[in-house]
Amino acid sequence: MRRNVWVLLCFVLVVMMLSACATTERAQKPYKFSQQGTVIWNDEFEFKPPPSEWKVIQVEVGGEFGFGFLRGDPGQFPSQSMFVYDEEPFGCSTKFENREEEFFKRYLWTTALNMTMRILEKQKVHVLGGEGLAVVAEGEDPIKKEKAKSKVVFGKRGDRVVAFYITQWRHIDGTYDPSAFEVFDKFVASFKFLKKSFYETL
Amino acid sequence: MEGHQRNLYLYDRFNARVVGVSVDDVTTLKYWAKDLDITFPLLSNVTGFLGADFGVVPSPEIKGYPVFSRRTVIIDKKGIIRYVKDGSPDFKDILLFLKKLNQEGGKP
Repeated sequence: MRRNVWVLLCFVLVVMMLSACATTERAQKPYKFSQQGTVIWNDEFEFKPPPSEWKVIQVEVGGEFGFGFLRGDPGQFPSQSMFVYDEEPFGCSTKFENREEEFFKRYLWTTALNMTMRILEKQKVHVLGGEGLAVVAEGEDPIKKEKAKSKVVFGKRGDRVVAFYITQWRHIDGTYDPSAFEVFDKFVASFKFLKKSFYETL
Repeated sequence: MEGHQRNLYLYDRFNARVVGVSVDDVTTLKYWAKDLDITFPLLSNVTGFLGADFGVVPSPEIKGYPVFSRRTVIIDKKGIIRYVKDGSPDFKDILLFLKKLNQEGGKP
């Protein structure tokens, strides 16, 4: 009897150890915090984290962007805000003006801005240590009674264009919350590359 | 296709050229290329014989219609198939392979 208890105890211990291993692997995150409180993402990017109500989102396979943050906003569906860093934004051109046109051809479809969309602002900006282009767009879908506002910031990583973008979705009667755009601007301003991109090393 | 277009300057660096093959007709491909700003050649292969020649598996989704799954094939300058991968193109893998092939002197 005593031996059976001992065997059972060993079995439980082994199961616990294995569970602990599995948990560690599952919990592995692509980011860590630096001593300065910035986020180091995959040892490749560094940026100031947004406030805690913004949850990390990441596309692992076949995604349209790399990673970003999502926040549920008060108000009627579809009240939420999302911003991302995209290493391969829609389009192909390495010139910002052309890339912006290419980008919006497809981005509109993914944001539900496609019904009536207009560019509100377009200006040259300093981003990622160089020249960039910031574009603000807005659109409504009167059928679904939804609207969205986006800001896209194009910058360069080596020869290639990368982009940051935020989209805020609202019910058609809702109001936009500028604080999300301020969080996005701080994220973009703090964003740094810690190493060369894959394409720069070829 | 957009990913290939983005990488054209790197394909040039590795002495490689890219060609897209589709079962769509020429008019559709012209419109599509214009819409996506594709500048490399797209071949219209409506009967799908090229897909069959390269051993691409017909898509199970539309039976009886010559729609093929995606396949990436790299052919070297001697006409030998050196790389075959199914599914969406893995652009980083393709670029690394082309770089290696170019260094070997077996320009694609």
